[in-house]
Amino acid sequence: MTTALQAGLISCHFCHTLSKLPESIDGEIINKNTEIYCPCCHSSLYSRIPNSLNRTWALLLAALILYIPANTLPVMTVIFWGEGQPDTILSGVMHLFAEGMWPLALLIFLASIFIPILKLLTLTGLLISIHFRAHWRPKDRTIMYRITEFIGRWSMVDIFVIALLVALVQFGNTASVSPNLGALSFAAVVILTMFAAQTFDPRLIWDAIEEDSAKETEK
Amino acid sequence: MASNHSNNTSPHAQVSHIACPDCDLILSVPPLAVNEVAYCIRCDATLLRNQKNSIDRTLAFAITGLILFVISNLFPLLSLKAMGLTQESSLLSTALALFEADRPLLSLIILLTTFIFPAITLLGTIYILIQVKTNRINRYTALLFRFLRRTDAWGMLEIFMLAILVALVKLGDVADVIYGVSLYAFCLLILSLSLLSYSLNPQDVWNSLRNKQGCSL
Repeated sequence: MTTALQAGLISCHFCHTLSKLPESIDGEIINKNTEIYCPCCHSSLYSRIPNSLNRTWALLLAALILYIPANTLPVMTVIFWGEGQPDTILSGVMHLFAEGMWPLALLIFLASIFIPILKLLTLTGLLISIHFRAHWRPKDRTIMYRITEFIGRWSMVDIFVIALLVALVQFGNTASVSPNLGALSFAAVVILTMFAAQTFDPRLIWDAIEEDSAKETEK
Repeated sequence: MASNHSNNTSPHAQVSHIACPDCDLILSVPPLAVNEVAYCIRCDATLLRNQKNSIDRTLAFAITGLILFVISNLFPLLSLKAMGLTQESSLLSTALALFEADRPLLSLIILLTTFIFPAITLLGTIYILIQVKTNRINRYTALLFRFLRRTDAWGMLEIFMLAILVALVKLGDVADVIYGVSLYAFCLLILSLSLLSYSLNPQDVWNSLRNKQGCSL
């Protein structure tokens, strides 16, 4: 079992063309900072996403910080006969439960509370496991990453519901819905975690194991 | 090395080498028969697929999708009738309503995810696939296709569809919700978009680029 990195090859992120890392381009010796491009699709080539861990940490921390206003500030206010009732994400779910719309409550709970928490925890866990060069179940960790990357965008459903309610319920003083700052914070959390998942490189999970086993065979 | 679902492989074509995108393992993949999928032996990532008429089918779904996209934008998706007043909403007016409610950033997010990125996906896919079919690939094809692959996750119409269903149930008891041609067109649009992303095999587009430039390894 050889990886592309060990074989001195680079796989293109987009078209998966395998390229051999040249020793020099036009007489200039290749170092770490030289930009090289895929011969097939001209995307810039890298063996691992550059600064993957730092960038993922930064985006993840920003998302964690914004997660606080996203849950404490109201996401929307329903104004009925002049009386406003601000709702946070959690109180919105509670209201749906109280009104007996439990399938809907469950859906919003999954999309707006369960998935974001799962995503933040999974990404934090993956980053920490790479920092400690863990050998623990690399395949399961890769699958966890794939699920996080796939499922994250569905959290946007609550934002879209708010947008639709704002657009539809506009009956002057009788009934109207206005969006609040919590909605923007929540949308920012979803978008930041999506970027964080994109900049995370799952190959780093396997690198620790390979480098350690290479060291052992040297001994 | 990669696992196969059937064993109808033709013996003439060459074995191709690919590095797993998720764990970097180099694998040799035997030629795949139609509807065969190759998975990584170490991490189960999907490596390659072989789909029948991938380019033609995807082009058909993309053109259907574009027509449906235009129809869903011509008429209001949902209307709400209460107290003698009717409120209409469409894809663009949803974004506009947030802008008017003093949330320009939120409005921009909605505009990008429900209008601009889906429109770019449909138009871009049609443009690229026609180029591939007529063999008129130029240096910007790869650039555009890379952009489309990268922004694939940001078109969120299927999530918007779910939001419409939630809003329908929520408002159902309070007011009369009217839906028309546009909502039906929108449902079909979601169907053609998901069939589009299912039938599109990016490797086919890359292969034709590779053949054109003669850069296969």
